[in-house]
Amino acid sequence: MNKQDRKVLACVDQSHFADTVADYAAWAARRMDAPLELLHVIDRHLERGSGEDHSGAIGFNAQENLLHDLSDKDAAVARAEREQGRLFLNRLRERALAAGAPSADMRQRHGALDDTLTEQEDGVRLFVLGRRGASAETALPGRSNMLGGNVERVVRAVHKPILTVTKGFKEPARVLLAYDGSAVTRKGVDMIANSPLFKGLPIHIVMAGKENKDGPKQLAWAQDTLSATGFEVVADHLPGDPETVIAHEVEAHDIDMLLMGAYAHSPLRALIFGSKTTDLLRAATIPTLLLR
Amino acid sequence: MKSFHQDWLANVRNDLLAGLVVALALIPEAIAFSIIAGVDPKVGLYASFCIAVVIAFTGGRPGMISAATGAMALVMMTLVKEYGLEYLLAATLLTGVLQIVAGCIRLGRLMRFVSRSVVTGFVNALAILIFMAQLPELTNVTWHVYAMTAAGLGIIYLFPYVTKAIPSPLVTIVVLTAVAIVLDLDIRSVGDMGELPDSLPVFLLPDVPLDLETLAIIFPYALTLMVVGLLESLMTATIVDDLTDTPSDKNRECVGQGVANIASGFIGGMAGCAMIGQSVINVKSGGRGRLSTLSAGLFLLALLMLVGDWVAQIPMAALVAVMIMVSIGTFDWNSIRKLRENPPSSSIVMIATVAVTVATHDLAQGVLVGVLASGFFFAHKVGRILQIRSAAEDEGRQRRYTISGQVFFASADAFIAGFDFKEVIDKVVIDVSRAHFWDITAVSALDKVVVKFRREGTDVEVVGLNKASATMVDKFAVHDKDGADDLLMGH
Repeated sequence: MNKQDRKVLACVDQSHFADTVADYAAWAARRMDAPLELLHVIDRHLERGSGEDHSGAIGFNAQENLLHDLSDKDAAVARAEREQGRLFLNRLRERALAAGAPSADMRQRHGALDDTLTEQEDGVRLFVLGRRGASAETALPGRSNMLGGNVERVVRAVHKPILTVTKGFKEPARVLLAYDGSAVTRKGVDMIANSPLFKGLPIHIVMAGKENKDGPKQLAWAQDTLSATGFEVVADHLPGDPETVIAHEVEAHDIDMLLMGAYAHSPLRALIFGSKTTDLLRAATIPTLLLR
Repeated sequence: MKSFHQDWLANVRNDLLAGLVVALALIPEAIAFSIIAGVDPKVGLYASFCIAVVIAFTGGRPGMISAATGAMALVMMTLVKEYGLEYLLAATLLTGVLQIVAGCIRLGRLMRFVSRSVVTGFVNALAILIFMAQLPELTNVTWHVYAMTAAGLGIIYLFPYVTKAIPSPLVTIVVLTAVAIVLDLDIRSVGDMGELPDSLPVFLLPDVPLDLETLAIIFPYALTLMVVGLLESLMTATIVDDLTDTPSDKNRECVGQGVANIASGFIGGMAGCAMIGQSVINVKSGGRGRLSTLSAGLFLLALLMLVGDWVAQIPMAALVAVMIMVSIGTFDWNSIRKLRENPPSSSIVMIATVAVTVATHDLAQGVLVGVLASGFFFAHKVGRILQIRSAAEDEGRQRRYTISGQVFFASADAFIAGFDFKEVIDKVVIDVSRAHFWDITAVSALDKVVVKFRREGTDVEVVGLNKASATMVDKFAVHDKDGADDLLMGH
């Protein structure tokens, strides 16, 4: 495995989450001994117009003048964002290095967040992003635990593990795996078993919901797989609504990070039946690692 | 999911406001273009409503405005005059079908042969035609009309200095209509120009015999309408791409234009296409998404239903003022200044496009001439990239000609002239390994040279012909492969 292209990519913007994202990314990079890259995506929101001029009058060289006006406006915004971005990226880089990241690069790109991350996906081992970005903070002030609009789109768009973090860093000491025996979560178990990220941490596996006949077998398999690679594992099957059960377990066992498989189904199905992933993600109050 | 959100919901407030601004400007345009085409204003108004609404869903360029246009109206003028409205509706349906076919076979790719100069010529010709179409309203009229038109233009361009919140063309129309009513001026108004819509449009089939004779009548018109409609739509799409810095799907746009025209034909509307002036107004007003196009169409119809009686009262002078504004805004004034700066060939292409279009009232013919002229100039320029060097070898008994550059129909004569046939010599070596033979004219020119030398009793050896004639194969495509620049540019 080429270490150079197995980096941790931290997506930061000027939201309150940036520091925490940098902290968690530094933690992950340190544990996996992977290079860290801080990425700031500048989205000029080309799909939105400015709409100040409703005069409806067009005069001499209307087209060319409009092109100049619009590109000047875009240029001013992009330049300001770039300068600000450089400043806070520098600060975050110092912070990540101080927190023990082996190396930290910084980069800025233009585009929509989900498109950019999909383009950058090759060579990324783990994405780290805040539960919501600066745009959601202005759109929904005060509702600090709401999931940002970009997060779900990103989670659907990329095919690598994503760590979404809540505000405030706490070095993970106990983690909980939400397990349902599906292909995605089974693959997730393998990923955890083979990754240095959680080496040495106790893992609590919870299978929630109605008991089905394969349930105990699946749970035992997960427990065995993880125990075999040296994890200290507790496995439980708890009846009830997954959202409540897992929230309760997190509280009861002082869990620091939630691990789960994400979006096994098509977006269409999720639109009609709702998505368990989104429900769990919304309900979670601790950093959540989504395994793809 | 994501593109649905981006296309429709990312810019709701601005899209709705821009749609309203555009709708207000669409009404005078639709009426004016109906008059050009020689049909009742309601034909153009229904068409504008229908095309704007349908293209919002089917188009490939969100934020671009399509409706009844002057370029299309000019093409259908004679059809309406000779055969009447029903044949126009049939031609509109056929235009739509042809455009869908064009989109499916990706005819949009041909747009790359339309050079920048041709586009500028097209835009300028369009502006001139829109202006010329206003002249009948300005000849043989009383001074009131001139005063009204001048006042209208004054309001359009000066009112934005007061506020940019209200569309100044609307202010013009309201003020001039009020003046005409209050002073009871005896000048022409929209009501004098023909029937206005009095109800929602209904589905109807064109009342024409379904036979070959009908097809023979409408096909030439439909073909021209298809070409003109797609040309203006694709050019406008490129303009909107540049203005908004976002991409568009040109083939989807072709199909979308076709669907919109078919829908228009079935509700008694004329064929239309994208509009440069209106699209610029839309982007300027903040419109970006499909919602702006949809709302423009819906507001247009709503306005007609709400204030339809008042529309008949609008003096033609007000419409003329709005149309002159569109004409001024569409024209590329910088192109006049650049006539001297640009290479003469570019300027000639631009002027030829304008001249032919204005003379024939047919943008398709103008563009055809422009494209042919640019191709001609290009061939002429590239034909000059040809160098023939010669050196005596073997104590003057042998001569080696080294050819480098492009040999094709435009440079074949220069190629032949590069050889000295009068020289008495034993052998000639023609090294063409660094030349490119593009067509059979080039190969036959080489044959000619060989024959001429042989007649003089000179032996001829041609070196590197296989490499040189590799470019003759029609599917020759090295441009996207590694080493292409070595092969094509290496000398």
